[in-house]
Amino acid sequence: MSEPSPAGNFRPADSPSYESILQCMRCGFCLAVCPTYALTNRERSSPRGRAALARAVAEGRLEFTPAVGEEAYFCLDCKACTTACPAGVRVGTIMEFCRSQEQGFRPPSLPAGALRDFILKRMLPSPALMEGSLLPLRLYQRLGVQWAVRRFGINRFLPGALAKMEGILPALEKPLRLELPEVIPAQGKKRGRVAFFLGCAMSLVFPEVSRQTARILSQQGFEVVTPREVKCCGAPHLAEGDRDTARRLALTNLDLFLGLEADAIVTDCAGCGCALKEYEELLEGHADHGRLGRFRAKVRDVSEFLAGAGIRTEELRPVPMSVTYHEPCHLVHGQGLSGPPRHLIGKIPGVELREMKESNWCCGMAGSFALKEREASRKLLERKLAHVRATGADALVTANPGCHLQLAWGVRELGMKQPVLHVVELFGRALPA
Amino acid sequence: MLTKAAIDRLRQKVGTGNVYHEREDLLVYGYDGTPETAGIPDVAVFPQDGEGLKAALAFCRDEGLSLTPRGAGTGISGGSIPVRGGMVLGLTRMNRIIEIDEENLTATVEAGVITVDLFNAVASRGLFYPPDPGSQNVSTLGGNIAENAGGLRGLKYGVTRNYVMALSGLLIDGTEFFTGGKCVKDVAGYSLRDLLVGSEGTLGIITEATVRLITPPQDKRTFLAYFRDIRTAGEAVSRIIAGRIIPATLEIMDKMTINCVEDYAAIGLPRQMEALLLIEVDGHPAVVAEEADGVRRILQEVKADEVRLAANAAEAARLAAARRTALSAVARVSPTTIIEDATVPRSCLAETFAEIERLKEKYKVRVATYGHAGDGNLHPTAATDERNREEIANVHAFFSELYDKVLSLGGTVSGEHGIGTAKKAYLLRQLGAGGVAVMRRIKDAFDPAGCLNPGKIFLDAPAPPSTVHPGGKDV
Ligand SMILES: Cc1cc2nc3c(=O)[nH]c(=O)nc-3n(C[C@H](O)[C@H](O)[C@H](O)COP(=O)(O)OP(=O)(O)OC[C@H]3O[C@@H](n4cnc5c(N)ncnc54)[C@H](O)[C@@H]3O)c2cc1C
Ligand code: SF4
Ligand code: SF4
Repeated sequence: MSEPSPAGNFRPADSPSYESILQCMRCGFCLAVCPTYALTNRERSSPRGRAALARAVAEGRLEFTPAVGEEAYFCLDCKACTTACPAGVRVGTIMEFCRSQEQGFRPPSLPAGALRDFILKRMLPSPALMEGSLLPLRLYQRLGVQWAVRRFGINRFLPGALAKMEGILPALEKPLRLELPEVIPAQGKKRGRVAFFLGCAMSLVFPEVSRQTARILSQQGFEVVTPREVKCCGAPHLAEGDRDTARRLALTNLDLFLGLEADAIVTDCAGCGCALKEYEELLEGHADHGRLGRFRAKVRDVSEFLAGAGIRTEELRPVPMSVTYHEPCHLVHGQGLSGPPRHLIGKIPGVELREMKESNWCCGMAGSFALKEREASRKLLERKLAHVRATGADALVTANPGCHLQLAWGVRELGMKQPVLHVVELFGRALPA
Repeated sequence: MLTKAAIDRLRQKVGTGNVYHEREDLLVYGYDGTPETAGIPDVAVFPQDGEGLKAALAFCRDEGLSLTPRGAGTGISGGSIPVRGGMVLGLTRMNRIIEIDEENLTATVEAGVITVDLFNAVASRGLFYPPDPGSQNVSTLGGNIAENAGGLRGLKYGVTRNYVMALSGLLIDGTEFFTGGKCVKDVAGYSLRDLLVGSEGTLGIITEATVRLITPPQDKRTFLAYFRDIRTAGEAVSRIIAGRIIPATLEIMDKMTINCVEDYAAIGLPRQMEALLLIEVDGHPAVVAEEADGVRRILQEVKADEVRLAANAAEAARLAAARRTALSAVARVSPTTIIEDATVPRSCLAETFAEIERLKEKYKVRVATYGHAGDGNLHPTAATDERNREEIANVHAFFSELYDKVLSLGGTVSGEHGIGTAKKAYLLRQLGAGGVAVMRRIKDAFDPAGCLNPGKIFLDAPAPPSTVHPGGKDV
């Protein structure tokens, strides 16, 4: 994405390529799938409008104005437009570049900037620091706070955001990263060796889910290696426009995981999977091409991996219940994976899958969006949960920690009966004790 | 320049959130799906009801602004581009389905209703609204009517015009009009309705439409036929029509289109073939069986290289959806796509394909061809780059010569996309000065001051350079 191209009114560093922007031929197909456009009915909040703003900046017809920066952050980066766009335009990615531009043009004020730097550059890169922190304001939530403080000032922002943050975060357990054995042997006939990429949010907030992932992989005949030195995948940094730190983290993970000589690199976090699959592009020119290719060829979401390997069903026990499935953006749009999670669900004896409407629409979490744009986020969540309710299913299944937090919060807020489960949690229930 | 006080006044009348005049908003209400051209309005207004709409019109008169109606902005002849600035009037927030009348088989909708939403709403009552332009998931009924849009089902079911029963709205001077009704027959005076259908937003602003509904076909069957020579595909189309078989859908895609669509949709289209036909026959099961046999026989006679039957409705729907992406999918291979809308009598299809091939050679241009073959309506689409002026000149020369041929065959320069800004010179070529002058008189009768959607259809009013951005081009 960074060929020599006229940067126009963009800053040269980390600017979207002109080619990638020109690719939009303005057919408007994407208008039908963009959640922010559905909310506002305002063209500039649509993929086509965002691409047009970027084009105007690149062609020198518009400065990189605060409104352009706002649109870059109001975009959920859900990538629904990428799936819908026959012309291959990736507006979400263009907006990631625009977030970097916004950081460059209007660096955060000092205290907020220091907090942001601390989170993005020190805390997220260092698992130990993050796990040691006692505040319940972790990860994306922190990013959200600093962003909003910078934009709206402490008083206007904090009360509401804090309330949502308190509400959304479950009681934190012990991080799984330190608990999970580094090597778990395969059960039954061994089918291979996989490296488990254990993401920060999974390890910290959903340790029991990732424990199931390791358990399932082992039960299915794979030796599971979980390196403790794993770093944050870099997704939050990309989302917030800090590409430098993202690259640093990516380089470390690249070396670490290629060194493990595993058949596949598997993750149960759709956000991590998406970021890992984009290392090739992020690190282009910063790491050996061949190694990047080899790394990319190994990365799999857990459902993608299992569906591809073929699922051993002999020992599975029935789980008699109906479920509906919410597709995480980072899985369906980011990685194009719609079939595999459903395949996994379909293999569990006794489970009935009831499709909801708009299953591939964003739930409104979208990184720190849920905190920064609470009104908009809530509307998207309510739209989603109305579809869930209409299915009457016993449980709501998804496959990503961000969605999981947001949906679980929404279900509680609205007094709905459905528990929220990660697809591996559901599958785990079918495993022999 | 509009003053802040004026904008505030407008906001008070139409609602603050329905009036935009920040630069970032204006920039994105100056384009539609047409390449190489865009404008910038002075203000963009999205009334939510008739009162707001009237206030917006009054504002234009007071401030001396021209006005350009806009639906979803999927037009591809430049119809909703505000070439002289002024007001862009968006209709997308007037989007209620007012009534589905199951006794008279009609639906009444506001102009901003999205085509597919109407389709789904009537389908849930067991009824059918056939017009289905490729853009149906986003396009508005108002835009469909203003362009007289066709679609994949045009061959058997006709185009938008065949379904419009009544229209109401406003002339630019504020006069309210109502034309047509729920009566199946109506010859009371001139048919204003028929004048407004296809008027490209230059005669009046449509706020409400009543459309005719029919009952959906009970059965359908969908074929794919592959060809190693595109002229054979053209011949197959002509023979099917001559064989008195009228499929609902009879679409063509050439090799380049097949490959672009396959790159996006990955549904297993044959990349090595020169052309494919997508054919759907529908109706009563007995008729469907008979017509399907007929189609098969003709495909065998012309020696189609392979004929496949879609396994089920889901597969048929996937194929139609893939065909709808053709224009945008061709855009994968280059930054600029210039689409044309050449339409010929159906017996001339093979000859037209041959001419397209010849001209591609002559002008060294990359052109993907697809379209509603059963209607004789082809969309040769050039994959090019607007920064390369030489190539662009070749592309325009290619189309110009192609239209000579099309017109010599008794064809038309636009089957369904309209004239807008993009085809004014071609229109003159087709109709001659006399024909255009008659249209001009009609336009003047509706809009004497020339304030409603100026710069469209007629060559005589070029846009002042200041409102057309540097990439813009006025033929
Ligand atoms: C990918 C793609 C596929 C397409 N496929 C087809 C196809 O198969 N068949 C086809 O016919 N067209 C097709 N089109 C063209 C286009 O979608 C149609 O012309 C459509 O009807 C435009 O609707 P819209 O709501 O986007 O109108 P706009 O583009 O916003 O406006 C079109 C014209 O209508 C006028 N207008 C809009 N609303 C009103 C109103 N309420 N009152 C008065 N004037 C109004 C505007 O001023 C303008 O002149 C396609 C376009 C794309 C991008
Ligand atoms: S982003 Fe893609 S789908 Fe959207 S308008 Fe541009 S080309 Fe069309
Ligand atoms: S990434 Fe999502 S929110 Fe952003 S423009 Fe695309 S569809 Fe809209």
